[in-house]
Amino acid sequence: MATTELPLPALPEAHHEERGGIVDYLTTVDHKKIGILYIFTSFGIFLAGGVLALLVRMELAEPGLQVMGENTYNQVFTMHGTLMIFLFAAQVSTGLGNYLVPLQIGAADVAFPRANAMSYWLYLFGALIVLSSFFVAGGPAAVAWTAYAPLSTREFFQGTGMDLWIIGLAVVGVAGILGAVNLVTTIFRMRMPGMTMFRTPLFTWGVLVNQLLILFAFPPLTVVFALLFLERNFGAHFFDPTTGGSPILYQHIFWFFGHPEVYIIILPIFGIISEVVPVFSRKPLFGYRAMVFAFFAIAALSFGVWAHHMFATGLVYLPYFSIMSLLIAVPTGIKVFNWVGTMWRGSITLPTAMLMCLGFIVVFLIGGITGIFLASPPIDFAVNDTYYVVAHFHYIMVGGLLYGMFAGFYFWFPKFTGKLLSERLGRWHFVTFFLGFNITFFFQFLVGLDGMPRRIADYEIPRWTTANQISTAGAFLTGVSVLIFIWNFFVSIRRGTPAGDDPWEGNSLEWVTTSPPPHHNFHHLPEVHSERPAFDWRHRDDPAFASSHTDPERNLDRG
Amino acid sequence: MTDEAGILLRVSIFGFVAGIVYWFLSYEWLGTVALLLLGAGPGFAGLILIQEQRHRGGTGESRAVAMRRLAGIPPADPPGPSDLEAEDLGVLPLPTIWPLAAALGFTILFTGLIYGLWLVILGLGLLGYAAWGWLAAVNRENRYGRLEAGTEPPSPAAGPVGDPRPHPDTANPDPESSAR
Amino acid sequence: MQPRRRAPAARWLAVAVAVLLASGCVPQSVTQQGQAIQNLYNLFLYIAAVVFVVVSGLVIWSVIRYRRRDDELPKQTHGNNRLELLWTLIPTVIVLVLFVLTLQAQNKVLDQSSQADVRVTVTAFQWSWRFTYEGTGAEVLGTPDRIPEMVVPVGQTIRVKLISADVVHSFYVPQTLFKRQAIPGTDNEFDLTFDKVGLYHGQCTQFCGLQHPDMVFRVRVVDEGAYQSWLAAATRRGSAGQPGT
Repeated sequence: MATTELPLPALPEAHHEERGGIVDYLTTVDHKKIGILYIFTSFGIFLAGGVLALLVRMELAEPGLQVMGENTYNQVFTMHGTLMIFLFAAQVSTGLGNYLVPLQIGAADVAFPRANAMSYWLYLFGALIVLSSFFVAGGPAAVAWTAYAPLSTREFFQGTGMDLWIIGLAVVGVAGILGAVNLVTTIFRMRMPGMTMFRTPLFTWGVLVNQLLILFAFPPLTVVFALLFLERNFGAHFFDPTTGGSPILYQHIFWFFGHPEVYIIILPIFGIISEVVPVFSRKPLFGYRAMVFAFFAIAALSFGVWAHHMFATGLVYLPYFSIMSLLIAVPTGIKVFNWVGTMWRGSITLPTAMLMCLGFIVVFLIGGITGIFLASPPIDFAVNDTYYVVAHFHYIMVGGLLYGMFAGFYFWFPKFTGKLLSERLGRWHFVTFFLGFNITFFFQFLVGLDGMPRRIADYEIPRWTTANQISTAGAFLTGVSVLIFIWNFFVSIRRGTPAGDDPWEGNSLEWVTTSPPPHHNFHHLPEVHSERPAFDWRHRDDPAFASSHTDPERNLDRG
Repeated sequence: MTDEAGILLRVSIFGFVAGIVYWFLSYEWLGTVALLLLGAGPGFAGLILIQEQRHRGGTGESRAVAMRRLAGIPPADPPGPSDLEAEDLGVLPLPTIWPLAAALGFTILFTGLIYGLWLVILGLGLLGYAAWGWLAAVNRENRYGRLEAGTEPPSPAAGPVGDPRPHPDTANPDPESSAR
Repeated sequence: MQPRRRAPAARWLAVAVAVLLASGCVPQSVTQQGQAIQNLYNLFLYIAAVVFVVVSGLVIWSVIRYRRRDDELPKQTHGNNRLELLWTLIPTVIVLVLFVLTLQAQNKVLDQSSQADVRVTVTAFQWSWRFTYEGTGAEVLGTPDRIPEMVVPVGQTIRVKLISADVVHSFYVPQTLFKRQAIPGTDNEFDLTFDKVGLYHGQCTQFCGLQHPDMVFRVRVVDEGAYQSWLAAATRRGSAGQPGT
């Protein structure tokens, strides 16, 4: 760049060179580095939350109190839920989206790179505030991650830990809204020429819907935190029935955020599965438009179902929330069937990323089916707030999120680093994870049906012991599987097989650039004429696919 | 109507319909308000997109033109160098510490709500300082970018930026020459 | 239909599925209201089992059948409108059927008879329960260390009025298959009609603070005579020991 004659002070020239180092990461505005920061931070929080989960399982292995007292136990499971749901699950997909979305749509960066950096730092500082509550007098909040008022008001929980919890999560919420504005704008306005909305890869769609949900669901969360904070510290009475407040108000606003949050977590994962399955089936995604429709149907319905978490309050109109919740099964079913349709008559290989996808489909199926049970109010009366619900949402959250996340890690690790993760260790990881996970949570269905309530440190019914012990053993096996993954990461990043630009014969644009991509993402970009630009590029000389270059409006083969 | 606006308007319609149905089924005001707001928010964003598209006219702008527009460079500029590296590095922002500082200020401000007014003032001060530094950096880079785009003559050897040909020559064996 | 020719592995599989299905059932309900829930749950379970077997079977089948054998690219199909419509409609129909069944069961569960035989006010507080028998002066007050017992007659309609003295609790007796939150400032009423004499475990299921796991109670269902004599004794004790009830 010719800058010698400029009247302005010279700017650093070498800013696009790879420098590494801590200063680089502190000042970066590169979406790829910010994505990496998101992924590492959220994975660290996942490990912390996992340790807390193991503590919970140790305590529950036998009746009575062995490992910790009731207060510690309440703090441990509260922080487990808080870390996992607010600080890990919703953020790891933001990290992946940050890294991959600009690459998938052929952009050089996100729309607002500096604001992107700011939303990461807000997320980190918010998380640190929540974690700092471990070190204040009275310890962290012990009110469950839902923090129902009035239990979370000053009258019933005095400690500063609760205030730090609210403030930290409010800051993370602001980070989420800022990041959502950024990513939605990026996807709407930064797509390269030819990349119409209905040619963007499914992962980008997943991130788009996920960020739109954040945009509409986080404001109610911030509102309810503000109300709770005012009630705790400035003498407001929103949730106090003796002065005209209403405890049910808290549940309404919280769950108006809380149910979309489930889909905030799971929709990018659907996107990952929809990217990985076609690549390893060597076929295009079956029913692309139906998949996009399903995303939006799930997202829209998720705003109409919040009170199915409140069936047991007796204060909500049951049929409305029942039918809306049941209907979510339809678009979810479309997704599962379309994945099967993608594999059908394909040419399937089974590297770890694909194994994780298969694990995801089976496990998520169980989670989804038990969700149908919970959408029915009478059944919900029986099993709500028992271990049945715990098992159900771990099948969705752990099952869905972690399988999809690991599939994404195995799939895109070569793009991030230029090295392949070890397949041998990957298989061990998958097998231990699949076994450990199912052993842990399947037996919680049974003990939940038998009536074991959630969030108890101690139980007095001896016949619940067996299931709990099996569950604890499974939890430790799951822990081992995560250790195998970490081991795999360190081994592969040092001595992994070089991946090349496109190790999997991928479909979307990130596979045409180098691994890892340059600072400005692309040296050259192919033209986009379908939802598989990298595939078209790879087959540009193949006469069988020549039509995809000459006829942009060609009729797709729809069987 | 663009796909983007269509998506937002459909979500908006869902919000309004669900809100109205919910009201007549339950007469519960909180959920009704929330659902109607869900209708209003995306609807507003969708209408903005439609209106903006009418202003702008067609959508057929190339990435280079779009990047220049986003960076505040007038679209009438002669096309710059054709390779993406020069294009992108002309508009990508430089590394900066101000987002970190602003986030820190914001966090301190919020923590002050628990621990006292002095932290609020400290946080506000840091936030203001960071915002000032941030805007100054943006301003400097924008002026720099404009001058650079103006001073650098188009390189005739590299070919035009927005490739006028609608489709690349598929028979061309050299991938680099058909890439933009 | 020809069990002799079935492979032993298949038989073991069938047994395993049967055991899983059986263990996946809810406990036997001891109330008339719970009976409706139990039937509904079991119906859901059978439909769910079929759906799970079909879908996961399709996944496993396609992975085994369509493993990559050569480098040839399979036919690049992008979709099939008829199939996609089919697997949109089938789940919709299933879901609507389940919804209708849900409504029927729900009406049975939440139906309140016009004439309740026994009226009990249940007060949940941190961290135990108080059972007040309306119109009699009988009262049972528990502490976390002294588990309270709610004594009710078998076969009669018991109207429970559930209130909370402090935070949100939840009244849950697993073998009634029913729970209801106790919310401060709100009266929640529901009916229970026990069919079987016995002693049943009950517990708070909504996390309510430090000693939430200790918030246990029992429901003792007795016949009419035993109930009347217990009530008389409790009334005497209640009016003597605990003024103000």
